[in-house]
Amino acid sequence: MTQIEQPKVVRKKLFSPVWLLPIVALALGAWLGVKSIRESGIDVRIHFPSATGIDVGKTLVRYQGLNVGKVVDVSIDDELKGVNVDLLMDYRAEPLLRANSKFWLVTPKASITGVEGLDALFSGNYIGLLPGDGDFRDHFEAEQEAPPVLPGSDGLVIELSAEKLGSLDVGSPVFYRQIPVGEVVSYRLDPQHKVLLKAYIEKQYATLVRKDSHFWNVSGVQIDASLSGIKVNTASLASLIAGGINFSSPVSSPAAEANQGYKLYASQQEANGGVRFVLTAKDADGIKRGTDVIYRGVTIGEVENVVAESQSVSIHTRLDAPYAELLGSDAKFWREGADISLNGFKHAGRLVSGDVIQFLPGNGSPLAQYPLANTAPRLEHETPIMLTLTAAENPGISSGADIRYRQVSIGKIAQVRLADDFSAVLYQAEIFPEFKALLTAGSDFIAEAPLDIKASLDGVEVKSGDLTTLTKGVVSLRHSLNKKALNTAKPIALFASASKADAFYQQGHKIKWTLYSDDAASVTTGSPVYYKKMQVGTVTDVDWQATADRFAVTLAIDSTFAPLLKNNIVFWQNPALAVDASLTGVKLQMAPLNGVLKGSIALAKLDGHKVDSQRLYHSESLARSQAQAISLLLPADSSLRTGAAIRYQGTQIGEVTQVVLNADLKHLDAKAYLYGKYAAPFLKRDSQYQLQQAQVTLKGVEHPEALLTGAFIAATPGNASDNSTQFTVPRLTDDYMAKDALHLLLSRNTLGSVKNGTGIFFRGIQIGQIIDYRLKDNGDEVLLNASIAARYRHLLNQSSRFYDLSGIKVDLGLFSGAQIETGSLETILAGGIGVVTELNNQQAAPLNASQTLPVYGKADADWLQWRPQLSE
Amino acid sequence: MKANNSVQGKDLGLCRCDDCGQINNTTESCCLRCGAKLQLRDYNSLQRSWALLITAAILLVPANLYPITTLTKSGRVTHDTIFSGILRLVHSDMLPIAVIVFTASILVPWLKIIGLGIYLSAISFNLKFSKKKLMLGFHLIEWIGRWSMLDLFVISLTVALVNMGQLLDAKPAPAATAFALVILFTQVSAKVLDTRLLWDQLEQQDDAN
Repeated sequence: MTQIEQPKVVRKKLFSPVWLLPIVALALGAWLGVKSIRESGIDVRIHFPSATGIDVGKTLVRYQGLNVGKVVDVSIDDELKGVNVDLLMDYRAEPLLRANSKFWLVTPKASITGVEGLDALFSGNYIGLLPGDGDFRDHFEAEQEAPPVLPGSDGLVIELSAEKLGSLDVGSPVFYRQIPVGEVVSYRLDPQHKVLLKAYIEKQYATLVRKDSHFWNVSGVQIDASLSGIKVNTASLASLIAGGINFSSPVSSPAAEANQGYKLYASQQEANGGVRFVLTAKDADGIKRGTDVIYRGVTIGEVENVVAESQSVSIHTRLDAPYAELLGSDAKFWREGADISLNGFKHAGRLVSGDVIQFLPGNGSPLAQYPLANTAPRLEHETPIMLTLTAAENPGISSGADIRYRQVSIGKIAQVRLADDFSAVLYQAEIFPEFKALLTAGSDFIAEAPLDIKASLDGVEVKSGDLTTLTKGVVSLRHSLNKKALNTAKPIALFASASKADAFYQQGHKIKWTLYSDDAASVTTGSPVYYKKMQVGTVTDVDWQATADRFAVTLAIDSTFAPLLKNNIVFWQNPALAVDASLTGVKLQMAPLNGVLKGSIALAKLDGHKVDSQRLYHSESLARSQAQAISLLLPADSSLRTGAAIRYQGTQIGEVTQVVLNADLKHLDAKAYLYGKYAAPFLKRDSQYQLQQAQVTLKGVEHPEALLTGAFIAATPGNASDNSTQFTVPRLTDDYMAKDALHLLLSRNTLGSVKNGTGIFFRGIQIGQIIDYRLKDNGDEVLLNASIAARYRHLLNQSSRFYDLSGIKVDLGLFSGAQIETGSLETILAGGIGVVTELNNQQAAPLNASQTLPVYGKADADWLQWRPQLSE
Repeated sequence: MKANNSVQGKDLGLCRCDDCGQINNTTESCCLRCGAKLQLRDYNSLQRSWALLITAAILLVPANLYPITTLTKSGRVTHDTIFSGILRLVHSDMLPIAVIVFTASILVPWLKIIGLGIYLSAISFNLKFSKKKLMLGFHLIEWIGRWSMLDLFVISLTVALVNMGQLLDAKPAPAATAFALVILFTQVSAKVLDTRLLWDQLEQQDDAN
C-alpha cells in the first residue's frame, strides 16, 4: 500500500483481435462464393431422341468415370421430335465441349461379351462423353450408342485384315494368353474385299503387340470330337459367342506401331506359320481341308487346301513352324485311315476326323512338292522277308491278314491273288526281318480258323482267334526245329487248318487200307481205328461204290503199326455200346468215347488160317469168327430183330445183322453171318433155317432164351454139294397151319371154352387146332374151323367122332360115387376137342375137307375103347 | 419495488470476481481470493461478442448454401443442403422429424444470431426494449442454443453408422463445418458477452422509465 505504483496507462485498443474472426470468415465465405460462382458450370444442351432413362438432377455426365456434369432440365424440343436435355457441366469440363464431342446415354447392357455400364445399374443411367476437337460448343446431338473407340484410349490401335469376319463383332475381345487385353472396335470392308478390323489394345498391354505378332481368330468352338473323347476348345465363353482374337508375339521383335496392319489368321496353326508345300496324289479320298499331318502320333501340320488338277490332286499342306525343319527332300508322306478291325479300333478317331497324312522326316532341303503314297513306305533297314504262300483254295485269308507265331504278329499278308494259271491262290507274305530265324525248313503256314469248336464228352472247347481272325483271317506259323532256313524262293503251302497240315505230313507216314462194307458202318472221315482200344489210325474216306453197292472205307493206319498189318487182321465196327445179354447176365461194353461219337473201327489179329482182311464186319464176334454172310428171306410177320442169333442145337453159329422189310411188304430181308468155323455145313443149299420164338404154354416154356433175346433162327445143316448164301425161312407155324393140313368144319351147340388155338387131341396128343370159329348162318350152331396137321390126317376118317374135352367133368352118382374126369391141365384151362376113330381106313372113307362134323358133348365110354389100326 | 431490487453492486462499491464469484470491493484491483484481475464492467466483451456473432452470421451463409451431407446411395451421389434435407424429410412424410430438424438446424441458429444481434445492438446502441421481453428472449436463447447441435450430432452418427461403400455411404459435406462453426461462434458469442452490460442498460431504461 505504501508504495503506489505509477499507473500504467494502456491505450485502449480500438479493435479487439477477435475481429479477425469475422474477417477470416468473411474472406472464407467470399472465397467460397467466388469459387462457387466460378465453378458454377457450363450449361450445355443435348438433343436426345427420347428422355427415357434420363432423370433431372440425377442423371450425371461422366467422363472416364468422373462426374463432369448433371442433367438439370429435360424439355421437349420445338419440333416435338425429341427432347432437349440441359446439362450443367463442371467448369473444368470446358475442354470436353468441342464441336466434335459426342454424348450418349449409357444404360446397363448385359450381353455375352460382358456387362456394359454395370455401374449404371446402381448409379442409374448416365450420359457418356467422348471429347472431340473443334471449337467450343454447348449444344450437341446425342449419339445413338457409344462410339466405337473407347473414350480416352491411349492404348494401341492395330488393324487386322481377315478373309471373313467370322463371328467377330465390335467388342469381341483380343486375348493374349487368354487374358483379354483389348477388343475389336470396328470393322469394315476394304477395297480388296477383305475385312479390316480395328482392334484396340489397352495401354498396359500395348507392349505385348510386336511387329511380328501373329493374330488368329479364336471365334467359336473348336470341337475335336473323336472316339478318344471330345475336346472342346474355346478361348472363353465370350469368344465362344462373340468371337475373339488371340495373338502371340515373338519376344525379340520390336514393338508394334500404332495402326500397324496384321493378317488375321483363321486358326492358331495357320498363324504360327510353318512351311507349306504340295502333296500330289491320284485322288484325295479321305483327305480334306484340315486333315492332320501326323508324325509319331503328333499332329505337326494340316492340309490347307485340296485342289483337283487334270491328272491328280494337289493337296496343299502346311507343317507347323516347329516341325518345319523335319521336312527334307526325302521326306515321305502317306495316308492312313482308321483301322477298324474286330481286334479293336485303331485310330478310331479318324472315323470322325477322316484320314490323316503320315509323315516321315527326311534330310536335305525341303521340296515344294511331294508325292502322297497310299501305304506306308518301306523303310530300308526294315525290309521284310518276302514269301509266297500257295493254297488250292483261299481259306479266308485276305490281304492285310496277320502272320503270327504264337499269336504274336510277325508279318502280314500283303497281297492275295490267283496264280497266273488260276490253279492256286498265291499270297504275298511279308515277314518282319526280326523274325527271320523262325522261317526254317519244315515250318508250316496254317490259316487259323476264326472259331474252333471241339466238342467232346470231355466238354466243349471253343477256341476263337481274336476278332481279326474273323475278318481278315490270320495265318499262323508253325515253327519247325529244323536248323535249315526256309527256301523263300519257292511257294510254300498254306494249309487250311492244322489238322490238314498234319494230314498232309502224315499221309506219307500212313498206310492206306481199304475195307469194304455193306453199309457206311456209321463211320465218317476222321473216325478212329483202334487196336486193343488204342487208336492206330483214322478213317480217311468213306466212299460208296455204285457198282457193287457197297462202301469203301479207307483207313490211314499209322506207319508205326505197319507190322500189325502184316498179320491176319480183321476189322469190325466198334459198337458204341455192346450189350451181351444172355440169361447168364448182361455184359455191357463201351467203346472209347471218341469212337462212340464218331463211330469207330477196331481191328484185331487172328491167328491161324487166312482171313478176309478187306471186309468190315459188323461186330467183333463176326470179325473174329471170320463170319460168312448169308441172306435170309423171312415172312413179314416174323418178329426177328437185328442181332438175333442163328443157332444150331442151341449153339450160336451166327447172327442176324440187319433186318429190313422187303419192298413187297410180305417178306423180311435179313442179312446174317455165320461164324467162320461153323459156316461150311450151313452154307449147303439144302440147309434149313427156321425162326424160333419163345413159346410159353402150360406145358412149359419153349426156347426161354428167346424171351430175352427175341426170336432166333434155328439152322439145320444140309448135305447138298453146292453152296448158297440165300435161304428162305419158313413161316413159324406148327403143322396145323401148313397148306397141306386137313381142314374140317366142326359144329357145336355153343362155343364153350373153345377159342382160336384150342387143340384137337387124339389120345391126348395134339394133332390139330381150331383156327377159326363162327356162328352158322342160320344161327342154330357154332361152326369151328379145325385144321389137322397133315401127318395126322390118316388118323381121321368118316368114323371119327369129335367130343368136348373142355374143363372138368364131375359125375356124381348116389351109388356110383364121384367120377372126376379131366383132360390135361392145358385142356382144363384152355379147353380142347378130342377125337377118336372107330374103324380103320380100309373100312371107312377118309374125311373130306369142308365136311361138317358134330362135336359131341362127351365121349361115349366105348369110344375110348376103339383101337383101330390106322395107317397111312 | 423495482427501485429496491435494482441496486447494483457497483453502486454499493462491490465487484464480483468473474472467475470465482468472490465479492470484492471495487477498490481492489485483484480478487482477494483468486487473485484474478477485477473488472467492474468488461466493455471489451461487447466487441468480442459482436465479432463472433458477425463471424457466425457470415458462416451461416455457406452453412445453408453448401451441402451439409454427401450421401452415396447405390453409387449415386447426392448432396444435401440443410434445407434440401428438410424438404426431403417433408417429402418422405416425416414431418415431425422435419420440424425438429428445421428447428434445430435453421430456426435455432437464426434465432440465436438475430437474438444476440438484438441484445448486442441494445447494449451498443442503447436501444429501448422491454426488459421483460429481453429477459424471456435471453433465457430462451440460452436454453435452446444447445439443441442446435442436433443436426451435427445426427450427421456424425450417420457418418459413423452408414458406411457401406458404394452402396450406401454418408459423409459430411463442407456445410457441416460451417454449420458447426456457426453454432460454436454463436455459443461463444453469447458466452463472452458480459451480460452485466445488458443489465446496466436495462436498469437505466427502468430508471428512465
